[in-house]
Amino acid sequence: MNHQHGGAAGGKPAASPDNVAELHGVDYSIDGKQVFRGLDIEIRRGEVTAIMGPSGTGKTTLLRLITGQLRPDTGRVLVDGTDVAGLGLREIYALRRKMGMLFQNGALLTDLDVFENVAFPLREHARLPERLVRNLVLTKLHAVGLRGAAELRPQQLSGGMARRVALARAIVMDPDILLYDEPFAGLDPISMGVVLRLIRSLNDALGISSIVVTHDVREISQIADASYILSGGQVVARGTPAELRDHPSPIVHQFMEGLADGPVTFHYPAPDYWQQLLDREGSA
Amino acid sequence: MSGLLREMIESLREFLERLGSMTRFFGQVLWLSPATFMRFRLVVEQVYNTGALSLVIIMTCGLFVGMVLGLQGHDLLQRFGSEDALGTGAALSPLKELGPVVTALLFAGRAGTALASELGLMRATDQISAMEVMAVDPMRRVVVPRFLGGVIAMPLLTAIFIAVALYGVQLVGVQFLGVDQGQFWSQMRGAVELDDIREGLIKGVVFGIACSLIAVFEGYNAQPTAEGVGRATTRTVVISAVVTLVLDYILTAIML
Repeated sequence: MNHQHGGAAGGKPAASPDNVAELHGVDYSIDGKQVFRGLDIEIRRGEVTAIMGPSGTGKTTLLRLITGQLRPDTGRVLVDGTDVAGLGLREIYALRRKMGMLFQNGALLTDLDVFENVAFPLREHARLPERLVRNLVLTKLHAVGLRGAAELRPQQLSGGMARRVALARAIVMDPDILLYDEPFAGLDPISMGVVLRLIRSLNDALGISSIVVTHDVREISQIADASYILSGGQVVARGTPAELRDHPSPIVHQFMEGLADGPVTFHYPAPDYWQQLLDREGSA
Repeated sequence: MSGLLREMIESLREFLERLGSMTRFFGQVLWLSPATFMRFRLVVEQVYNTGALSLVIIMTCGLFVGMVLGLQGHDLLQRFGSEDALGTGAALSPLKELGPVVTALLFAGRAGTALASELGLMRATDQISAMEVMAVDPMRRVVVPRFLGGVIAMPLLTAIFIAVALYGVQLVGVQFLGVDQGQFWSQMRGAVELDDIREGLIKGVVFGIACSLIAVFEGYNAQPTAEGVGRATTRTVVISAVVTLVLDYILTAIML
């Protein structure tokens, strides 16, 4: 492994021990479309960091870069001081054991019940006595309030419950970093409040670092220690939620206030409206 | 004309690219197979899913194929006054051709589509991605057990299809049309050699490898959308059917 704590290597910025993940000058494009241009982000250890931005700005792509599922075109992605891009599959898998990820839809394995879903990483990675597996799984399910749902199938769960089961699965291996991909999407206010409180309490109780990708500004502002706003493939603002609210950038203002029109336009680029309506050929 | 030529070249390039991906995928599956056999429970689950759950359709179709063979064979042999030779005529075609081929086509339609759509949906709902993030190799955990399950199930299904088809021939020939029971079985025993049985089983194994590979490849590489999963399922049936018939010709030519 390519640990680079405490010193610059070959002129590259050194990883700070205070940061659990860092992206330096990351360029990434897919199908000819540039997603990131010189992206710089630092995720501090032990904090809840929010990554926000309008839809389609590459927030989920950012998580996939951190997990090593995608490789940057240029630049470096450091996780725990290790450059993810330089790792082989075996090393990537070793690194991912330090991570847990909550997917937008939970991504529970539909052929397993709730208990087996949470037990899945334990069964795959550790040879533990069945009694210990049972106790660990029930402990994690209890932490998310779903010990009583252990025997349900994923199809029987509501969206909020599925998200919480996925959260129990994400923490069952005691990771150092938890990644959340749109954890509040499609949840009712009660479920949203539950997930919100869990993100903060798990972060503090387990002493982990959390990266939350979301566009639910008000909710995440209640629990985030630091926030980044992405737009146009770059970080347009960073700081505490309070600092972002007072940020002078028009796009940050539009995003934080949820305005329909602004630097991010309401209309998708199109020919002149009247011209198109009067056009006899019917080009649309 | 040049447009048509360009389109043909593009199609050929795409075909070769896909063939290359599938060959590499097959190599990966073979490489991971011995280790997956160590987790035999996963393979047994898939033998059940692809094999046991296909039994009803295999047996039903086998019975009717056999009954049709019995009717046709009897009608043909009656013209020469040798309907007692039904055992000979009707035994070899299910054993060497119809058994493996029809089983493979049914397998592709039932188990192959189930495999492809299951894997495609797993990708569309991020289950494959979740496994990757949990440091679990989806090829090892999901793809290879399903492939091996299919490879084991196919020859077994072929054998069952053949047995039921022969019963169907006997049912029509002996029970309904009055061919002598002793003549029927003794003629069949005299006509069938060990090589014929081996040919049927070899075809079953080869078709099992081909159909299972196509199903898991198409499913695993499906576009993560509803349309993508549908397309993967359709491709599984179409490609499996064509490959089965092409392989059948090649294997028959080799083993004749």
